[in-house]
Amino acid sequence: MEDRKEVQNLKLRIKYFGFSLVIGTFRAVSKFSFKFENIKELVSRCYYYFKIWLLMSKNSFIVMLEQKKLFFLFLLGKVLRFGFFILFLVFLVKGTENLAGYNSNQVIFFFLTFNLVDIVSQFLFREVYRFRPLLVSGDFDLVMTKPMNALFRVLMGGADVIDFITIPPLLIVLAIVGGGLNPNFFQIFSYLIFIINSLMIAAAFHILVLAFGIITLEIDHVIWIYRDLTNLGRFPVDIYRQPIQGILTYLIPVGIMMTFPVKAMLGLISSWGILFSFSLGILMVILSIKLWNRALKSYTSASS
Amino acid sequence: MWRVRNMFQIFLVFFLWDTIFANSQRIVFGYDRQKMLTYIFGLIIVRALVLSSKANEVGGDISRGDIINLLLKPISYVKYWLTRDLSSKGINLIFAVFETILLYFILRPDFFLQGNILLLLSFATSIVLAILIYFLLLFTIGLVPFWVPESAWGISFLMLVVVEFLSGALFPLDILPVSVQSIINFTPFPYLLFFPLQIYLGKVGTLIMLRGIGVSFLWLGVLWLLMRSVWFKGLKSYQAYGR
Repeated sequence: MEDRKEVQNLKLRIKYFGFSLVIGTFRAVSKFSFKFENIKELVSRCYYYFKIWLLMSKNSFIVMLEQKKLFFLFLLGKVLRFGFFILFLVFLVKGTENLAGYNSNQVIFFFLTFNLVDIVSQFLFREVYRFRPLLVSGDFDLVMTKPMNALFRVLMGGADVIDFITIPPLLIVLAIVGGGLNPNFFQIFSYLIFIINSLMIAAAFHILVLAFGIITLEIDHVIWIYRDLTNLGRFPVDIYRQPIQGILTYLIPVGIMMTFPVKAMLGLISSWGILFSFSLGILMVILSIKLWNRALKSYTSASS
Repeated sequence: MWRVRNMFQIFLVFFLWDTIFANSQRIVFGYDRQKMLTYIFGLIIVRALVLSSKANEVGGDISRGDIINLLLKPISYVKYWLTRDLSSKGINLIFAVFETILLYFILRPDFFLQGNILLLLSFATSIVLAILIYFLLLFTIGLVPFWVPESAWGISFLMLVVVEFLSGALFPLDILPVSVQSIINFTPFPYLLFFPLQIYLGKVGTLIMLRGIGVSFLWLGVLWLLMRSVWFKGLKSYQAYGR
């Protein structure tokens, strides 16, 4: 009886937290003033940054492809790890019949979705892993003097070619396994929108790591802790007990990133859940950018 | 910090099996809830003893040319790394015991305590063999940069991926079909974590246990010979350029 009361209380608290979050997001968005006078200028800025991104990615690919043996070993390692895990899931669900109420196809789809979010965010934000040397050597000064946004440079300046190569086959497998779940058009659309939301949250996390890096010079461990936390989303968060499940869904929020897209495709997300997820995604991006701007002010260029 | 990361991994695996064994009477893949959770918790200690190793830095030592500093000293290079390996295990073991106690109080799992002295002795023997096998594996793989200096990091990564899955670090290998298990049993990997934990849990008969220990000795011998051969060939081809 007491347990039930506690769960009810927890649910009420989460709803209250969610409601405050949605209101907070609306307030933050309404305060966010857009710098661009018109859409044309916005498009031209996006095109400008897209061209820079292409150039930086090309350079990054050339550097990696120069070391062909290393490139091959990493690619092989990543493919093996992926293959081994899929095999494990197949045999596991075959032996247990289901996992937290999901059948084998659904569990594999959860894992593939985790991989999609993980690999795409690593492909886009790999440069974060190389931020510390820039900071401690003082070379970050050179980044800031260039005619482009410093955050853009340190966040997206070094796309990973290995992840780039693994994305197309992953998308094909996702389409095949996802097709087996017989989703309708609206469910596929929800899935894609939730994936975009997951990538926004991933971007926010990476920006937070960068900001934290400027303040403390600690990046490597923080980014790996982020990776380990997101790894908890390899399986649907339903496997965790409360309150860990609640924390992983709403506070960290691995559940929204990795589990919600699939749940949306399976039609298991309420309209409240959708509103909450997107509010959290938008709010995290806004807050992370604010923190980055604040961190930049505390940058002293001490080692240059 | 890698101990914290290790704990996250244990969390994932623990909750995965905790969900599967939500019904405490259930038996899956020949394990009941108590034995499966003991396997997961046992992994913390056995991993700290076997998989915490310094020998994965041998490749970097060679590719950077730092090896020459040690070659000039009157000490054995292999024994030097073995000593570093063992001391690293000591530190990791202390942390592992602390983590196990912490996780025990957080997760409150059912534990299976082995009381058979013979099995405990065999478990200890298999752990010692696993430590030496893993050291020789890492050391031998670490010698590849004698010929391909840029491969040091990549080859360690590949090795870690293979060991993670084929040693039973993520799941007990007996969830795989028997045919796949038979193939894996020909490699040294299951003797690193899976086999010692099977002995502790009393899941192997005396004959299979003796055969497993015998195979571990065999792998130890093979890897020792392989390591020596690769080491001497590597030394002959090493030119200490840039130093």
